[in-house]
Amino acid sequence: MLLPLIEPLLKIALLIGALMTAAAYLVLVERWIAAWVQDRLGPNRVGIPLTKIRLFGLGQPIADGVKFLFKAEFTPAHVDKMLFFVAPLTIFIAAIAAFAVIPFGSVIPADLFPASWGITQPISLVVAPGLDVGIVYVFALGSIAVYGVVLGGWASNNKYSFLGGLRSSAQLISYELPLGLGILGVVLVTGSLRLDAIIQHQAQTGLWNVFTQPLGFVVFCVAAFAEAARLPFDLPEAEQELVGGYHTEYSGIKLMMYMVAEFLHMVTAAFLIVILFLGGWHFWGLSGAGDLITWPVALLRVVVLLAKVMAVILFFMLARWSWPRFRYDQLMGIGWKVMIPWGLVNFVVVATWLEYGGSLTGLLGWSMESSLAIVGVTALLLCWLVITVIDPTAVGNRPRPTKRVGK
Amino acid sequence: MTQDKKKSPEKNVAWVKEPQLGMSGKSYLLLFLQGLTTTLRHLFSRKKTVESPDQRHEIPDSLIYRGVHRLNRDEQGRVKCVACFLCATACPAHCIDIVAAESPWPDREKYPQTFTIDELRCIFCGMCEEACPVDAIELTSLYDLSGKSREEMVFDKEKLLSVYDLTKDQEPPRTKRSGGTTSNPKPPTK
Repeated sequence: MLLPLIEPLLKIALLIGALMTAAAYLVLVERWIAAWVQDRLGPNRVGIPLTKIRLFGLGQPIADGVKFLFKAEFTPAHVDKMLFFVAPLTIFIAAIAAFAVIPFGSVIPADLFPASWGITQPISLVVAPGLDVGIVYVFALGSIAVYGVVLGGWASNNKYSFLGGLRSSAQLISYELPLGLGILGVVLVTGSLRLDAIIQHQAQTGLWNVFTQPLGFVVFCVAAFAEAARLPFDLPEAEQELVGGYHTEYSGIKLMMYMVAEFLHMVTAAFLIVILFLGGWHFWGLSGAGDLITWPVALLRVVVLLAKVMAVILFFMLARWSWPRFRYDQLMGIGWKVMIPWGLVNFVVVATWLEYGGSLTGLLGWSMESSLAIVGVTALLLCWLVITVIDPTAVGNRPRPTKRVGK
Repeated sequence: MTQDKKKSPEKNVAWVKEPQLGMSGKSYLLLFLQGLTTTLRHLFSRKKTVESPDQRHEIPDSLIYRGVHRLNRDEQGRVKCVACFLCATACPAHCIDIVAAESPWPDREKYPQTFTIDELRCIFCGMCEEACPVDAIELTSLYDLSGKSREEMVFDKEKLLSVYDLTKDQEPPRTKRSGGTTSNPKPPTK
């Protein structure tokens, strides 16, 4: 009787615990990667507390967390007290709640549990399984996260925070469009908004969406970077220009909420990229495709999914040190003049193929997915070539010699 | 002509056209790969961090390094200083304080009764070392001096002499004054 209640609560507890730990340890990984790229060693001192065991610095997150908790939490006199308090809560809660529909594995088979427990159906590894709006829910909460940034910037009553808030509101809203366009093709092909159905579809065809819709993948990746405000799109908090951006005035536990929310955004983005385009828990010859599985396969699926997510997160962190930050007009140019047209082209290509592709592939004797892959890669190359030739982001806003008056 | 000059304030300004990107640059693909390969190369390259305090920094030439001061002793273990005040005069930070007294030894007139250096005021310029006519005050290659209070960082004569006792084996006195602190033409090879 209690089982329907216990199951989601257990999953929520597991997920929140894992997410908080992951956020703490991703800070450590981020610092390691930053250090290694700069030929440094990075944090390697803090180990087990109260001993001299170092453990490659794995105790660093504990030290960081304790430091944040015990730091003075200062609220400046000039801030809007209510919004100043609400803003970090908003972004933090939105970032966590988005994980309710994100699957962190496939299913746990029912025969793993004793028969007396009365579990007959396999338990799917999502907090809210079978939520049909799936991806729309993630996007809705992603949009709420924008409020955390904008309100934080506004409530701080400080010019740097305000500039950061302004920039991020423009950036995040601009890049929601390509983000949405990027997934449209995936949703069309799958015929469902549910994330587990999208994975299932890729597992059954064996061709991940990254191969069939590379254009959509590029658009979604770039937009996800911008939505997570990671370099090279981190203008909301460009340290070199805006001190700390929208969280300049924050300290203590509120600052930690912002930091954790930022890392959770990155984790969400990585999960979405993996689930929508990189096949989720599917890997050829390892995971199988069906729903009726044994428990080693169930475990393997979780491992495959998390390994893929980790790889994407590592790419996020490497990208930070690989490319310089875009200028603001370049950021807007890429969003509006490159990514949105690309997203539209991808959408049109997939829709056209769904309508007329069947007869064409029947004529040539290919499978549906491989023909879409060929069309998709061609579309990507053509689009990239067109953008290279047109170069729409180039703007003539450099200073020029002034015209002489005397002539 | 003069009028023209007046009206164009940019007469002496040379306008340089910004370099144009080629096709590979505009496509961003090669630049993308270039950035990624650079970071990947550094990710796996040898790290340059010196893990202080477990490892010590390697000082290339300890004879010209300007670290903590020391007061040298002569062969009989007495302080070399003759309390001539040249170092205190030369010091731009006014961190040397000497109280001179009648020398108990026959080979000099004065000796320093007290000799204190405020290491917190010192800027480690090495001018005291250059000024010293008897090679009594020298800078060593000890770079990590620390203390728990300001008082502790004011080094008196005994402390400065103990620095000499500590470092004399690794660093022999920096010999003759032939051009300031870089008097040794050849640093000892390792």
